[in-house]
Order: sequence, then C-alpha cells, then structure tokens
Amino acid sequence: MMYVTNFVYALICTIGFAIVFNVPKTSLIKSGFGGALGWTVFITINHFFQSVVVATFIASFIIALIGEAFAIIDRQPLTVYIIPGIVPLVPGFGLYYTMLSILEENYELAINHGSESIMIAISIAAALTIVLSLNSYRKKRRSNF
Amino acid sequence: MLQVNRKKLLVLALYAGEIMLKNGAETYRVEDTIIRLCKSKGFSYVDVYVTPTGIFISIDNKGESQEEILSYIKRIKSRSINLNKVAEVNNFSRKFVDQKISIDDGIKLLKEIDQLLPYPHYIHAVFGGLASAFFALLFGANIFEFLSAFITSILVTYNLKYLLSIDFPPFLTNASGGGVAAIMAIILSFLHPSIHIDKIIIGAIMVMVPGVAMTNAVRDSIAGDLVSGLARAAEALIIATSIAFGVGFILKLWILFAGGTLI
Repeated sequence: MMYVTNFVYALICTIGFAIVFNVPKTSLIKSGFGGALGWTVFITINHFFQSVVVATFIASFIIALIGEAFAIIDRQPLTVYIIPGIVPLVPGFGLYYTMLSILEENYELAINHGSESIMIAISIAAALTIVLSLNSYRKKRRSNF
Repeated sequence: MLQVNRKKLLVLALYAGEIMLKNGAETYRVEDTIIRLCKSKGFSYVDVYVTPTGIFISIDNKGESQEEILSYIKRIKSRSINLNKVAEVNNFSRKFVDQKISIDDGIKLLKEIDQLLPYPHYIHAVFGGLASAFFALLFGANIFEFLSAFITSILVTYNLKYLLSIDFPPFLTNASGGGVAAIMAIILSFLHPSIHIDKIIIGAIMVMVPGVAMTNAVRDSIAGDLVSGLARAAEALIIATSIAFGVGFILKLWILFAGGTLI
C-alpha cells in the first residue's frame, strides 16, 4: 500500500515539475510515469538496503532506461523524459541541511550532508551516463555497419 | 550562389543550436544537431565546439573549391529550461535533414519555434505548487505541511517565473525565491504546531534546485566535454549558493531578532 501511495504522489510530483520545465503536452504523462516508477524503486531499495546512494543509482538507471524507450518510440529528445523524472531524486534535502548546518556553525555536519549530496548527484549522473553512452554506442555501430 | 547558401545555412544551424542551448539541451545534442544540419546540405568538413556560454562553428568543402572556411561564433548569455523548444528543434532538424526543406523556410520555422510561449504563469504556479506539495508528502509531511508547501510554492514559482520574464539578475531571482520560501514557511509555522518549516522550505526550493545543471555537469565531464562540465558545475554551484543565501539570510534574521528555533 505504501508503494501505491508513493507511486501516485511521485507521479503528480513529476508531472508538476514537467510542467514547470515546459515539457510538451504529449509527453507529460510519460515523463511522470518514468519518474514515479523510479521513485518507487528508490524507496523499495532504500527500505531493504538502507543506502540512499545505491538506491538513487538504480532508480536513475531505471528512469534513464524508461526515458530512452519512450524517446525511441516517440522520437523525442531524451531530456524531455529524464529531467522531470530525476528531480525527486535530486538531493534538495541534502543541500538544505548542508545550508542549515553551516548556519548553525556545525561544520562537521555540513561536510557530512554536503558530501552525501555530492555522492547522490554523482550517482544520478553516472547512471544516466551509462545508459546514454551505451545507446550512442549502439547508434554508432548501427550506422557504421 | 553557393556563397549565399553557405552563409544562410550557417545562420540556420547556429540559430537552431542557440535555441537548444538556451533552453536546456545537453552539449552533445547541440553539437550533434548542428553537424547534422550542416552535413545534410553536403558540407564535408563541419566542426563545432559548444560550451554552455557559446557556440563556435566552422564549415568548409573538400578539395578544389576556392572558397574560404566560414566560421561563426555565438555568445549565449542566459539559459533557462523550456524542454518544449528543445523537442521542437529536434523534430525540425529531423525534418530538415529528411525532407529537404529550403533554408529560407527553415529559418522561418525556427523563428516560430523560438517564439513558442511557455505554459502561462498561473499554470506554472499551480503545478509548481502541486509538485512541491507532493514532494513534501514523499518525505513524510502531514496534511498541514502539505497545504503549506502548496501555498508557499505557488508564491515562489510565480515570483520566480515573473522575475525571469522581466530579466531580473539570476542570482537575485533565486535568492528572492529562497527568501520568499523561508518567510512563508516561518509565517505558516505559527498557524499549527505540527507544521515544520524544513519540509515546507525543501518542497518549495525543489522548483529551483539545480538538479539539471548538477547532473549535466557530471555527465558532460564524464563524456569528455570538460569545459562544459566545469561551466555547468559553476552554474549549479552559483544557483545552489543563491538559494541557500536567500533561505539562510531570512532564517538567520529570524533566529537573531525573533529568537526563533529551527527544529
């Protein structure tokens, strides 16, 4: 049940961000779906393994795969599906708590939160890069042979 | 004849690249599109160098032709996110390559794409509000925090889109967004004891948080576009700093003058 409600919340959340980023009307629901599925994977893995970074990596990987599939089907650029989808995973919490810790002059905690945010950002980017470079490699091979 | 063509083609390719780069496309996509557009009209040598702050193109023909290499530079000063335009230019470039649209028609089509309007401000505001409110729910907010995040984020998004549309300085735009979020969160937290300001503020600043710039920075760096990577990292850092400055400034004032507590 928790997964269903989280899926719905993440769906609405992602569609909202998609509209803020001016995603074309026809792609709104699809980008929302990718983001919602990614978030559900994120909480599932985070629940079982207690590792935000690993969960973020796998969730972003799935968002990128789904985005790639939609992009090929609809012949739209991949960004349209990926950017709204990854927003819920972006370490906004980490950034806020980093700022808060600096404000409270607790620099050790600030470094903790800050480095975790950077790790999360890197894991999102690494997941996206793996999927994207495999895909461009596939395209290159297809056009060469 | 060919001279005119070359120039117009370069202008068209540059225009397409400019629209994409200004509206949040990745570096490699801009380079790829420009190369495709130029090669579709038979230029054997096309080289493009794109960074988030500028585009450099030069094209030439192989062999005997006596014409000189043409090079253009385009400086890009402001960047925002309008993925609709990126998608439209992408479609345009596919059509241009496949269906032999003439260059003059192409420029006309690109102008139409450039003038596409984003969703109206109130739609942005309402959906930005919904997005933030549901984001707060994902992190365990209760119903009061949900409503507060909704109201706060409507104001923040409206403020942000309005300031962007009148070309207000970017640093101050994001700082004022953070400031509005913090002020609203503090005011709303007096209404009910179960409202915590952190969930409201985090929900509201998610609309501004530089997730895209941050992710693109790492992606560009991994892909070998080191200059773009560094430029985007700087952009992400500046946006994050300005939001943190806006929120932190208000919270610090609140702590100092009104004796507020953060947790």
